[in-house]
Amino acid sequence: MRSLLAAVLFLPLAAQTPPAAASAPTSAPAATPATAAQAATPVPAAEPDISGWIEFGYRWRSDVNGSLDTYRSVVNLGSGPKLFGADVTVIDPKKRLFDALHVRASGWGGDPYGTLHVDAEKSKLYRFDADYRDLTYFNDLPSYADPLLTRGIILDEQSFDTRRHVGGYSLELLPGNWFVPYVTYDRDGNAGTGVMAFTQNSNEYAVPTTLNDLTNLYRGGVRFELRRFHATIEEGGTTFSSGQSLYQSPGAVNPGNLNTPIFGQTLDLTSAAASYGISGSSTYTKALFSSNAFSWMDIYGQFLFSQPSSNVHYEENATGNFYLPSEIVFYQSEQYLVSAAAKLPHTTANFGAEIRPLKRVRMTESWLTDRMHDAGNSSSLQTTGSGTPATALLLASSLASNYNQTETNLYFEVTDHLTVRGGYRYVWGDASDAVLPQAGELTGSEQAKLRQNVGLGGIVYRPIQKLLLTAETEVASSGGVYFNTSLYDYQKVRMQARYQATASLSAALDFTYLNNENPTPGINYNFRSQQEAASIFWSPQNGKMITFQGSYSWSSLRSDIFYLVPETLAQATSNYTEDAHTATALFNLNLGHWGIVAPKLTAGGSVFISNGTRPTRYYQPMAKLWVPMLKHTQAFAEWWFYGYGEAFYPFEGFGTHLASIGLRYTR
Amino acid sequence: MRSINLPRSCFLLLALLTAVARGQDAPPPSPYAGSEVCGTCHTDIATAFAKTAHHLADGKDRKRGFDGKACESCHGPGAKHAGSADPADIRNPGKLGAAAIDKICLACHVNQPTQTGRLQSSHAKDLVACTTCHTIHATGTEVLVVRKTEAINKQCEGCHLTVAAQFQQPFHHKLPEGAMSCVDCHNPHGSMKQGMMQSFGANEPGCLHCHGDKRGPFPFEHGPVRFEGCSTCHAAHGSANPRMLDRPQVQQLCLECHANLPVNMTGTLGVVPPAFHDLRSPRFQNCTVCHQKIHGSYVDRNLLK
Repeated sequence: MRSLLAAVLFLPLAAQTPPAAASAPTSAPAATPATAAQAATPVPAAEPDISGWIEFGYRWRSDVNGSLDTYRSVVNLGSGPKLFGADVTVIDPKKRLFDALHVRASGWGGDPYGTLHVDAEKSKLYRFDADYRDLTYFNDLPSYADPLLTRGIILDEQSFDTRRHVGGYSLELLPGNWFVPYVTYDRDGNAGTGVMAFTQNSNEYAVPTTLNDLTNLYRGGVRFELRRFHATIEEGGTTFSSGQSLYQSPGAVNPGNLNTPIFGQTLDLTSAAASYGISGSSTYTKALFSSNAFSWMDIYGQFLFSQPSSNVHYEENATGNFYLPSEIVFYQSEQYLVSAAAKLPHTTANFGAEIRPLKRVRMTESWLTDRMHDAGNSSSLQTTGSGTPATALLLASSLASNYNQTETNLYFEVTDHLTVRGGYRYVWGDASDAVLPQAGELTGSEQAKLRQNVGLGGIVYRPIQKLLLTAETEVASSGGVYFNTSLYDYQKVRMQARYQATASLSAALDFTYLNNENPTPGINYNFRSQQEAASIFWSPQNGKMITFQGSYSWSSLRSDIFYLVPETLAQATSNYTEDAHTATALFNLNLGHWGIVAPKLTAGGSVFISNGTRPTRYYQPMAKLWVPMLKHTQAFAEWWFYGYGEAFYPFEGFGTHLASIGLRYTR
Repeated sequence: MRSINLPRSCFLLLALLTAVARGQDAPPPSPYAGSEVCGTCHTDIATAFAKTAHHLADGKDRKRGFDGKACESCHGPGAKHAGSADPADIRNPGKLGAAAIDKICLACHVNQPTQTGRLQSSHAKDLVACTTCHTIHATGTEVLVVRKTEAINKQCEGCHLTVAAQFQQPFHHKLPEGAMSCVDCHNPHGSMKQGMMQSFGANEPGCLHCHGDKRGPFPFEHGPVRFEGCSTCHAAHGSANPRMLDRPQVQQLCLECHANLPVNMTGTLGVVPPAFHDLRSPRFQNCTVCHQKIHGSYVDRNLLK
């Protein structure tokens, strides 16, 4: 009996353990998954430590048929040995210094766009990211800026041959933890030569120039990532320097010399030297947070403040024969000295919330303000050899803007496949631009106000799993804008469709439309643009034999706006039209087995044809043949053609063939 | 009086107490199976998943309660599915609507710095789900999100067909060449700037990351550069016009704002420049030959030097 009672007392306790049958679904498979856990080891022992590919070879460029300068401005690929690309991953199975290291590179060996990227990570300890780009910027297009063209001189007075080095390096500590400190350093430098105009009162002279600038950005901060709250606090600063010099050696003949006499005298530049010395710095503060405050509400916010400043020293000396129309006087030398400074405090803040009051209803609300105020001052002294006294001038400048925006959107899930959105945005602000004291015809101070009511709408419809339709629209009415061409009374529409017909066939459509009108008397701005594009991707049998990817786009743009012809003040309309067709296509073909090799061919390219104010043609056909050589090695031969032409500036057209051969090693 | 059958009564009491105890104290069978169980059938996914950052949830995410249940943090409880192997018994986020997918992702990721500009982004407004760009359990050579320049551009082009076409014009930023990617300029998670543009140094335009020489501040600014940005004059994706300008002739572009109208007539800025240039002369057909510091000047109010 006692034992029975004891059993009675113990059984309820025993009953608190889930019965074996109930735990079966979890515990039964749990016994086997020991093997699964082994299979899920992050780095299987058999995996190689180093994987990736490298592609290198040699490229030839044919002689450029046409303008070499335009070719260099648009394409700029040259001959020589090249590292076309590399992508290497190193995994350390023992996770000593890193778990994984990735290195990517492209375009080395004299190409205009060289890139190098390295990132490494050790779980829960650090994440390092480095990105470096070596970019060549060459631009010499006489149609852009050649005031001497009518004299038979083809010379772009705004041409550049510079090289830009952009680097970014960041180190994040304890990634994935709730407390993540980080430091980042960015460097952006540019140096090179060019041709610029040395402007004197009644004439401008093309002279050689050297340019350089360097920006360093240092920043560091800490992120707090908690379950319901996130915050980031960051402090940063920049240093900036820029130098430019323009020069003409004494005695050189400048192509811009004006040989047509003015009051019996010609104008010329016999020597010039001008140099800019600019230094600047900035500090900034950034704070942002996001919070899942309640299960039905998320809130976000940011506060940003920066205050860049700059200091300027400019010195210019020139000799020649110059003319000052305001005083009808000729002079033979000039010295111009400027000392200036500027400061731009800039505050930005926003706040937003997403509220989910009902299962199928969401509401978002956001508010934004952006306030900047540039204040500058300048002190200059101009001395001419005309015998007139030196002119000293003190100027104060200001450019200020207060921009505000508030927006509300309501989302309603009509069904599981259909969501509609409606919203409203109100934008308001004021801006001013002033340089005082006022001079000549120049207005000393201007103000403008911004008032804009915008209606928003959108729809996302997925009638079947394979088809997605998206459309959005903005319709706005304005009571004031900052500039004649700003968005005023406008309608924007964007529609997209994506259809995955089969596993091997997909298609997409994209349509954008913008109509903007500013009926204010004197402006009478009408702008309309639309663009339609379609693309298709076909890869039957998972691309075993052929893959095709193609797209076609048609765009049209028309812009009309009033202006007064500067010299006569007669009313005129500036018209711009453009109708453009763009097509791209790319085939990948497996050519079957040719003896022991199985070559592959990639062929296609793009074509751009536009008509209107500046009719232009641009072709880029290409073909690439891959031939497997060894287990890990493929040889390739590649051909590209670049052809460019303009109806109104035929001297700027070009056509060039490029051929490359190389090897790709894959591991 | 009826006699009490003690053994029978004890048995009934035992049964009653057992039932009460089970009803009150016994936890229901766990609806979760655990990641290891998932991996027994979905081996490829589990192997690939183990190499991703999401795998951390299995070992470290105790604060959200997903420790050891990384798979079920998105797919929901999987014990029933583990028992039946029926796809209908488990949530497949791939077949959910965008809002539902985002809700799952943001359950963990809402509190991250990338989300602060999300509400203003057109991706959020158009319900572009996180999984449109992110692969949750990577397979093969994939990772959670593509990081190679060409792959990023290709992914963006999948939806932004019209933008992709603009890059085929002769003057363009060098995306097709692989020198840069869409995310160098745009933040796909959203930002406070128009067009989801990236920022540089807190709240300066992202363009200045590479074009540092245009940064200033200038004692003599050109208003549109500060107020409406580079796209006032430049078609950043591509253009048939040199320097990616919106118009082929610089004078045409400048005159659209500097229309020589009387001050205060239109209420806009910059309509009143000096009106003596003869535009028939080649000297004046490109304003920037003389007004060369068009992005802002350090020394001259007319942007000449």
